[in-house]
Amino acid sequence: MRRKIAFVAALMLIAFTGLQFIRPKIKNPPVTADIQAPSNVEAILRRACYDCHSNETNLRWYDKIQPVYWQVAAHVNEGREGLNFSDWKNMAPAEQKAKLWESINQVIAGAMPVQNYVMVHPSAKLSKDDLVILKAYVSGMTPVNKPGDTAKINAQMQQLEQWQNAKFTIGKLPIALNGISYMPDYKNWQAISTTNRFDNGTLRVIFGNNIAVNAMKANNIHPWPNGTIFAKVAWDQVEDNEGNIKTGAFKQIEYMIKDDQKYASTMGWGFARFKTTKLIPYGKTALFATECVNCHRPQKDEDFVFTQPIKN
Amino acid sequence: MKNVVWILLAASFTIAACNHDDKVSLINDQAALPATFKFDTLGLKVMASFANKKYGTMSVLYANGEGISNAIKGDKKHSAGEVRALVTWGQQDDPSWFGARIPGSLKSVELVKISTNTTGLITAYAKYSGKNLLAAPDTLGQEARIKYILDQQPSIMP
Repeated sequence: MRRKIAFVAALMLIAFTGLQFIRPKIKNPPVTADIQAPSNVEAILRRACYDCHSNETNLRWYDKIQPVYWQVAAHVNEGREGLNFSDWKNMAPAEQKAKLWESINQVIAGAMPVQNYVMVHPSAKLSKDDLVILKAYVSGMTPVNKPGDTAKINAQMQQLEQWQNAKFTIGKLPIALNGISYMPDYKNWQAISTTNRFDNGTLRVIFGNNIAVNAMKANNIHPWPNGTIFAKVAWDQVEDNEGNIKTGAFKQIEYMIKDDQKYASTMGWGFARFKTTKLIPYGKTALFATECVNCHRPQKDEDFVFTQPIKN
Repeated sequence: MKNVVWILLAASFTIAACNHDDKVSLINDQAALPATFKFDTLGLKVMASFANKKYGTMSVLYANGEGISNAIKGDKKHSAGEVRALVTWGQQDDPSWFGARIPGSLKSVELVKISTNTTGLITAYAKYSGKNLLAAPDTLGQEARIKYILDQQPSIMP
């Protein structure tokens, strides 16, 4: 009996040792475009984010032991793909700002830093004070509307003229790379909310189709039923001297279509975005929806929906 | 007596448990229009959306088909049968997104209806205020409100 146990233990030791030689690669490419932030912000980013979101991954000895190392490598590679502070300056300024607002929202929602990572690396935990510093830093990037901004007004007037001359009439409906088509009928749906996105200087209206509106009436939105469609339209903000913020040029329309079978791989929702009045489908490959999924993931308790709908 | 104590104790635990739940509500209750107002039966569509920094409000302007096509034409002409409704809320911080504000408590619904009589077009205005949208009898400043609502440009929707 004792010999049997010793034999099994020996086998396991061999397997464990063997595992150590099967290693996915975590490269640390040179840092060429690192984020420049105030020192207190940078200290927090380095401590809580850089292991997975930069090329300066600092692995502890216990991270390097298999099979843990597999998970660590997956975290780092996925993390860098979503956000890499070492590549920061390669992004356009608007994209950088959007990333920062998205990141702080992931932190507030408790989605970041990843919980099981924090359990092993307690130093990555963000305190309330850290959050205050990060919020202040990001808030400092809030765009300020120039009252009577002529460039914005001209862009709006140009679109209005096209609209009046029926130049928006669309022949073939644009289709996103995941097969979702632009749906012009959203204009006949009900508004279920509106948002003033001061983080990126837009106003938005969220429309819901009949299935969505009926689900709201029946308090049946957790989860939303299949067939639910939301359309979210975003416009530039145009401000006047009286503090009125109105919609300027049309920027984009986004859809979420509920079908828990068809869109099982993207949390049960089909995502699409069409930009400008030309309604250009967003995304370079069909995988563009990963971006949508990553941002919506913290809303998993709300069926991945940000909007709190308003009944009328 | 003992039973009562137990029930009270159990009840207080339940309430305490509810209070600990700081999760975001699924529905924006405070912004809801009272069901008795039957806003959806007016058959209106979204015409525009705006906010006001000074008053901390957010609004959605609705119109019927006629109202929307008149607004798109942009020649400031109106026709009998045109209906517009302006729904206004106070703003609140979006609990799900740091960087956004959403409608908070419902402030008012203003209705403008254009009809015709022997002298030409006439405009009727009505205002309903507060959470329960009670008819507001105050007629002060009506003309200005009508002008404000009728002068709005449509939000561009391709």
